[in-house]
Amino acid sequence: MLSNTKIFKYVLIVPVSISMMLMALQGCTNLDEEVFSEITEDSFIPAQEDIIALTASAYTPLRYVMGWQGLFDLQEESADTFITPTRPNGWDDGGIYKHMHFHDWNETQYQPRSTWLTCFNGINNINRVVSQIESGSLPIEEDQAAAVIAEMRAVRALYYSILVDTHGNVPILTNFSDEIPTQSTRAEVYDFIVSELTEVIPSLTETADASTYGRITKWGALQILARVYLNAEVYTGTAQWEKCIAACNEIINGGQFTLDPNYSAIFETENEDSPEIVFAIPYDDIYATEWSQHMKMLLPAHRDVFNMQAQPWGGSSANPQIIDSYQSGDKRLEDTWLMGDQKDADTGETLFTLVNFMPSIYFCEFEQGLRCHKYEIESGAKGSLSNDFPFYRYTDVLMMKAESLLRTGNGEEAAQLVTQVRTRSFDTAEDATVTGSELMGDTTVNYGFLGEDGTVTEAGDQSNVQFGRFLDELAWEFTGEARRRTDMIRFGVYQKKSWFNHVPLGDYTTLFPIGLEELNTNTNLKQNPGY
Amino acid sequence: MYVSTIDYPLSFKFFKNFRIPIFLLFLFISQGILAQNPVDGTVSDENGLPMPGVTVKEMNTSNGVVTDFDGNFQINTASESSTLIFSYVGFESQEVEINGRSSLTIILKEDLESLNEVVVIGYGTQRRADVTSAVATVKSDDFIQGNVNDAAQLIQGKVAGLSVSLPTGDPTKEAQISLRGIASINGNTSPLVLIDGIPGNLQTVAPEDIASIDVLKDGSATAIYGTRGTNGVIIITTKGAGADMQNTIDVTSYVALSSISNSLNFLDAGQLRQKYQEGYTFSGANLEDFGSDTDWLDEITRTAVSTVHNVIFRGGNKTSNLTASINYRDNEGTFIKTDNSKYTARLDVNHNMFDDKLKANFNIILSEQEFFTGGDDGNAGYSFNPYVYRQALIHNPTEPVTNADGTWFERDVYFYDNPVAYLEETKGKNRYRNARFTGSLTYAPNENFNIQALYTRKGDYNIRGYYETKNHVSTTKNGLEGYATRGTDDYIGNYGQITANYDKKIGKHKFTALGGYNYEDNTYEGFFAANRNFPTDSYTYNNLGIGQGLPLGEASMGSSKSSDKLIAFFSRVTYNYDDRYLLMASIRQEGSSRFGADNKWGSFPGISAGWRMNNESFLKNAKWLDNLKLRAGFGVTGINSDRSYQSLSSLTYSNYFLYNNRWIRELIPARNPNPDLRWEKKEEFNIGLDFSFLGGRISGALDYYDRSTKDALYDYDVPVPPYLYSSIRANVAKLSNTGFEALINFIPVQSDDFQWNSNITYSTNSNKLVSLSNDQFQTTNDFFYTGGTGEPIQTSTHIVEVGQPIGNFFGLKSVDITEDGIWLIETPEGEIIPATESSSADRQILGNGLPKHYLSWNNTMNYKNFDLNVNLRGAFDYQILNFSRMFYENPTVGYNVLDTAFDEVYGKAVLSDVQRYVSHYIEDGDFVKLDNVTLGYTVDTEAMDFIQNLRVYISGQNLATITGYKGIDPEVNRIGLSPGNDERDKYPTNSIFSLGLNLTF
Repeated sequence: MLSNTKIFKYVLIVPVSISMMLMALQGCTNLDEEVFSEITEDSFIPAQEDIIALTASAYTPLRYVMGWQGLFDLQEESADTFITPTRPNGWDDGGIYKHMHFHDWNETQYQPRSTWLTCFNGINNINRVVSQIESGSLPIEEDQAAAVIAEMRAVRALYYSILVDTHGNVPILTNFSDEIPTQSTRAEVYDFIVSELTEVIPSLTETADASTYGRITKWGALQILARVYLNAEVYTGTAQWEKCIAACNEIINGGQFTLDPNYSAIFETENEDSPEIVFAIPYDDIYATEWSQHMKMLLPAHRDVFNMQAQPWGGSSANPQIIDSYQSGDKRLEDTWLMGDQKDADTGETLFTLVNFMPSIYFCEFEQGLRCHKYEIESGAKGSLSNDFPFYRYTDVLMMKAESLLRTGNGEEAAQLVTQVRTRSFDTAEDATVTGSELMGDTTVNYGFLGEDGTVTEAGDQSNVQFGRFLDELAWEFTGEARRRTDMIRFGVYQKKSWFNHVPLGDYTTLFPIGLEELNTNTNLKQNPGY
Repeated sequence: MYVSTIDYPLSFKFFKNFRIPIFLLFLFISQGILAQNPVDGTVSDENGLPMPGVTVKEMNTSNGVVTDFDGNFQINTASESSTLIFSYVGFESQEVEINGRSSLTIILKEDLESLNEVVVIGYGTQRRADVTSAVATVKSDDFIQGNVNDAAQLIQGKVAGLSVSLPTGDPTKEAQISLRGIASINGNTSPLVLIDGIPGNLQTVAPEDIASIDVLKDGSATAIYGTRGTNGVIIITTKGAGADMQNTIDVTSYVALSSISNSLNFLDAGQLRQKYQEGYTFSGANLEDFGSDTDWLDEITRTAVSTVHNVIFRGGNKTSNLTASINYRDNEGTFIKTDNSKYTARLDVNHNMFDDKLKANFNIILSEQEFFTGGDDGNAGYSFNPYVYRQALIHNPTEPVTNADGTWFERDVYFYDNPVAYLEETKGKNRYRNARFTGSLTYAPNENFNIQALYTRKGDYNIRGYYETKNHVSTTKNGLEGYATRGTDDYIGNYGQITANYDKKIGKHKFTALGGYNYEDNTYEGFFAANRNFPTDSYTYNNLGIGQGLPLGEASMGSSKSSDKLIAFFSRVTYNYDDRYLLMASIRQEGSSRFGADNKWGSFPGISAGWRMNNESFLKNAKWLDNLKLRAGFGVTGINSDRSYQSLSSLTYSNYFLYNNRWIRELIPARNPNPDLRWEKKEEFNIGLDFSFLGGRISGALDYYDRSTKDALYDYDVPVPPYLYSSIRANVAKLSNTGFEALINFIPVQSDDFQWNSNITYSTNSNKLVSLSNDQFQTTNDFFYTGGTGEPIQTSTHIVEVGQPIGNFFGLKSVDITEDGIWLIETPEGEIIPATESSSADRQILGNGLPKHYLSWNNTMNYKNFDLNVNLRGAFDYQILNFSRMFYENPTVGYNVLDTAFDEVYGKAVLSDVQRYVSHYIEDGDFVKLDNVTLGYTVDTEAMDFIQNLRVYISGQNLATITGYKGIDPEVNRIGLSPGNDERDKYPTNSIFSLGLNLTF
């Protein structure tokens, strides 16, 4: 082979080199890439307008909440509210919805991964913009820069407030680099959120109008803070009820928000004027088309009921145990759930009848299980909705304060707040009124494993749920708002009780596993305990 | 130009008279000076048949003639002692001294070993005897006949190691080809296709216009092509006019009838009614009896009629000659509306000047293609809409096609639309125009040296339109009020090359050397728009702006442009000592614009050596041995990234964000850029043996190869954070392939009246993923999942794992069924559990979708005027995931199902589980196909003087399949990382009968 090598050297390489040199002289060796329908970073000179475009990327990932396998699925399907059983048109999908119900997910389950990827996408975008501002590569005034950075840090805290709840032990990132990050503990993530928010809140705008709609203001940031304080005991082992009350009070005293007198109006298609929205994720059936949850809930035949322009897919419906728990006279039952005869919008003919009965997660007919109708379906609605998602609303502020009061021995004060919230949903003040002692009582949900006839066949844990009645209030008020799981964990129900076809697997299920791809590509990450 | 003195028959008088003045003119010019010593004679073959077209040349002069139809020649030589050389392709050349004779009778011996046959290698040709690498050649005589629509199908089963399959009956699709296994993890198996030396594709020229196809298989041969050489190089040589060729017109015409070869047995109306009577109840599609009896598949399919015509005009003299051809093919698909019609015209002109020192070539290929658009995904219009086929399969057979009032019968069932309506209420047209212009100049100052410059301008243009009427479900169910799309794409490419060739013979030493430069650029542009809500159906897609979707914000529009460049320098030397020792070495230095700034260039060396043992003294006496050559080679080839700009940091305006009551677009990075992106490289070692015994009665080639791919390009998983997106295009994987190939030709019978030529090709390949990590990217798990079942099963089908071959099925292993009809799964630990309790952790390897062995047996028999071709082809030792059974052999689903859905599984219970991906649906795919049978008859044309050749034939394709596979056709998708998935919506393959004729004037 030695001679062959020589041939390469002398016979081949020499003439090739000579011809290369000749050709290089003629300029025929230029291999630079020419771009046409994209912009390279090297040649991009940002204008003032582009700063908004760059910061926009901090918010747009949040629209995954009501999208396919978004935060909604994570928070509601793992909870006692929403179930996606096998239907005549499928919905087994390799068992992924059943895993959500059984809590027997593993590191390949996509719904938790979707939350991980989305939140870190937002965090990365934020860190990128912040580093660009700090390095002076954006044409931005100094005071504007400070305001933008404060807002970006608050949004970053929002993403971390989701991650601390779902995955707990996640990397904390504050700058944009290719460095493989290390993992922090859930308590460290909690501390990071609290310190970031405490630091930036004074710099955030207090204006809450169209100019700040869909963005984090001082009030939004306070509500992030209130929510992490509310769950501090879960995240760190130490409760922070007083701090939660303080944050809520600051929002209440700010006076910018009031309860919407009409419960349905908070969720209607044109809900941006609702006086109680503190922070909304704006959707639009033309500009921001991620909202597809209604397609997963409604039956294919609902197309004619709502005169829709799209045929829904017909999967998820309500756990009958939650439906059965509503108090009589509570208008939120019908404001939230579709039931009974479903009529053709044009002819009035009954197309099918929804029943509050689901025999098994392994098979349900289309019309079995009530469907969520909390968010208005406009006539002509498409595969995506224009309703804005009320991520933080004033009712939640009152209820957080109420819960913190209840848990710190101020039951009656808590009951006043709860009554204030209930009033719009009951016809009489008598029905609306609750007492402190009622709220301290056990849950009214008939927990237990359901047989195919819809009755409890294995009761499971029937122990008293402390403040269980307050948890029921949260279900009636907030079901379908992508938060039920968090509430259930805080009340210890999620990891202890049986419902529908679910039996408890253990405390470890309160955190989701870190995804296989993440563990696989970042060796610094350790899986959450129990997986 | 020769002068023929024989008498033309009366019928030809006119032509003869017409030609005389031209003859005289040429006589005066070319022969007036030399004419001294006239010699005439006849040339025939060993069977005594006269041989037209034999070149007769006086040695050491440029004086030469060609024999006429009857093998006669006349030549005026310089002296009585001159030597004449008689040569003809496929025959041994003969040198004959005149020795004062005035008349000669020459018998040419057929060159059975075809050792003097010319093989096309990169940027040149080589004698078959001198070839040192694995190169296969198939001539037009050996092409597959019948309704063949691309170049690959012509050589199906003819080249060992080249797998050609047509897993679909879609008339707009071309054959799938792969050479020597899967060398690239990116799933790209496309070889480089050259048409007369210039990159193109398998459909650039019509199959009827192809004279021969050479396949460069191993790395030492393809290294000269560096880029894209990894999957082999297919070199197509078109039919051309040689020097001093008789003017001819070749006509090829055929008509073909296609029908679906095999269809699935879904419940028909009678069977469904019986199920109702047996007490079965269904939800969804089969909810109730609608009183009709409809064969839905029959409603959307037909027996398709296709016609193909090809005419080639050839002729000229040795200084100027031309070939012109026109091809028309009108292919109907077996699904209603699917079609493909195409015109291709080609003109090739050669012009030699200054004593042949300067040769000019001018070539144009133009084609126009049209087919129905059954849908448009924004990137391309497609003829066959799989949704329509799926709907026909799953439809309730008791439903009528139309209501009593003539409107379409529709129901409100999930993803359930009347397939006939869906098809009939769409309009569409896709038109492509392709053009390529090539000019080249070759200057040869002496016979040892030439330099050539070549330039090609290529362009493809496509415009398409698609419309769904107001009676389409897009309106009747989804309120679009008419939906139209329009799209256009444009491709422009420039290709230039400069090559210099030198050859020298010194005693027993023969050298050749080649050096060259290659430039290529490609620019792609596209535009697409969609609109809805039209006032009338009568515009269809021709008045897009009228749709009200535009003011409603429901219209869409997009355009794009991208480009790339490839530049290369290359060199090759060959050396031959005494026809015993052969050596070839080449190197290519190639740059691609698609790689990172510091990694654009790559080096691709190749070296091979051959030893012609039969020319050694110790084998000289072995009379039975015609040829024995041992070859060995090593070469490095590369794979270019299939997308531009992956190394660049780019920004893109993306989703909208509501800012102060205004929707503005966010600005985000377009991708995770990889500035280190570089060439994927494959190193290949090849050892081979060529042999021929017993006067060519047995011959063939054996090859063993070992290829390893490094830096394989892949969209690699990276952690989020710190990366913005979860994948990056990077050079990570290592793959290895080893295999063996054999081609054996034999002639079992050879007599005056009957000749039987037979050949067998065999190949085997085993591949393995060696690594999924590199210095930059590390994984803790050495596998990833790929392939997908689609909804509603929604799981991956395959695993790609280090240490394992590509193509492994990965899922639940079903071993039994419960009394309740739930699958029982055997876990990897050996535990048996119901499928309802299984998880993704219980999956295991269930088989492999890539055949381990390919075998084909081709036979040509000639008896008097009859010829018969019979081709058998098989693939062995592999599995198929039968999607049709997985989705439809299940009585619980809400649609019509296979009649076998009600059979007891494992003889125990009828299935009542959800649709699942379990091993029960993985079947062995082994098959033997009677691929092609063609019977031809050559008409005796002696009485028809103006006809040189007339042959009629009848051909059958895909006639019979011997297989245990229960699906439609065991020949399923074999490319990509999830081979062996027999998708449920696949256009079924066809059986085709053709009747055709070949005619030469």
